[in-house]
Amino acid sequence: MKKLIVILSFLVFLGTVHIKAQSPSDTLVHKKVEVNVDGLSCPFCAYGLEKKAIGIAGVDSVKIDVEKGLMTLKVKDGKVIAEDDIRKQVKKAGFTPGEISYPDPD
Amino acid sequence: MVKTHNFPIFHILVFIGSILFLISGIRAQGPPVYVQTPILLGLDGGGVRTFGKLIKKGNVNIYLQPVVVPYNITAKFQMGGIAPFISKSVNEMEAQTGLGDMALFAKYVFFQKDGKGKTFRVLARVKQSFPTGKTNVTPAIGTGSYQTLTGLVAGYVTTKFGVYGDFGYNYTSAGLPDNLVYDFGFSVPLLPQQYPPNQINLSLEFTGNYIFGKSSNNFFVAPAIQYIAGRRVLFETGVQLPLIEDVEPGQKTKFMVLLGTRILIF
Repeated sequence: MKKLIVILSFLVFLGTVHIKAQSPSDTLVHKKVEVNVDGLSCPFCAYGLEKKAIGIAGVDSVKIDVEKGLMTLKVKDGKVIAEDDIRKQVKKAGFTPGEISYPDPD
Repeated sequence: MVKTHNFPIFHILVFIGSILFLISGIRAQGPPVYVQTPILLGLDGGGVRTFGKLIKKGNVNIYLQPVVVPYNITAKFQMGGIAPFISKSVNEMEAQTGLGDMALFAKYVFFQKDGKGKTFRVLARVKQSFPTGKTNVTPAIGTGSYQTLTGLVAGYVTTKFGVYGDFGYNYTSAGLPDNLVYDFGFSVPLLPQQYPPNQINLSLEFTGNYIFGKSSNNFFVAPAIQYIAGRRVLFETGVQLPLIEDVEPGQKTKFMVLLGTRILIF
């Protein structure tokens, strides 16, 4: 029984290490997230979008291009942003979320 | 009753507006100054709006300073209040000043169609005014009547142009005639568009008010200019000129000038 507990504990430990080891590689790939925002047609109404976007966990800064209808989120080091969170906040800001893409890091 | 039709002014302003529209290029624009907007966001969502409006009408001078505070419950549902300060004098006599008729309002966007760089939205609105302004003084600065305005506001805004329109029926009490308000307009920017905004917008708007019972129609053209100085503040000014004014000759509008600001606080 003791041996079984030791083996199980070892396996759980290995699993934890494996999960933690995966996260940094994901964040290295996605330093920026580009979000197409439909309905974004006026600069004066983009403030709410910026405010909602900066509140998303993991977002470091926000850039909005009204002409292109594009919002670019800079991701904090070691963080991952959930696409569902982005869509939810864009809707809360009064716009319609479009395609989300991950451009190459600068 | 005298009808005034200043069609030369109308044609000149429409011509100027058309030229501005054509030369403005492909850019976004700001909110209209006189017409309602269906976009309850940014400066029209969580800001305080106030303006001074000077009205010279026959032998009456009116200075109006409303403070409008909207608050977004959600991006589609807004509630707010209006507190107008009024100063009114007749025949250069001592002016009566104080709080006019206060109002509460609610707006709900029930249709929204978004596309890349464009949006079409329609909202329903209701405004309830209360007879808080004094009526036991001369001249009165309140109407003495409860008024309920219900109406629709629509707008098609793209990065190339924006068109706005609203109409509403105003139910009144205390024997005052009901009236129909109808407004429409568009605005264009003069500076390259950017965010945070730094823009000068020109707009050409039309405001109308048909009074039932009196069968009186008043229709004004209102060119306006607006400066958006960053995310949180906007300055605007405009003038309303009569195109049709069904009033007694001594009550005809000489001018109406507006100077105001909107400050984002929420």
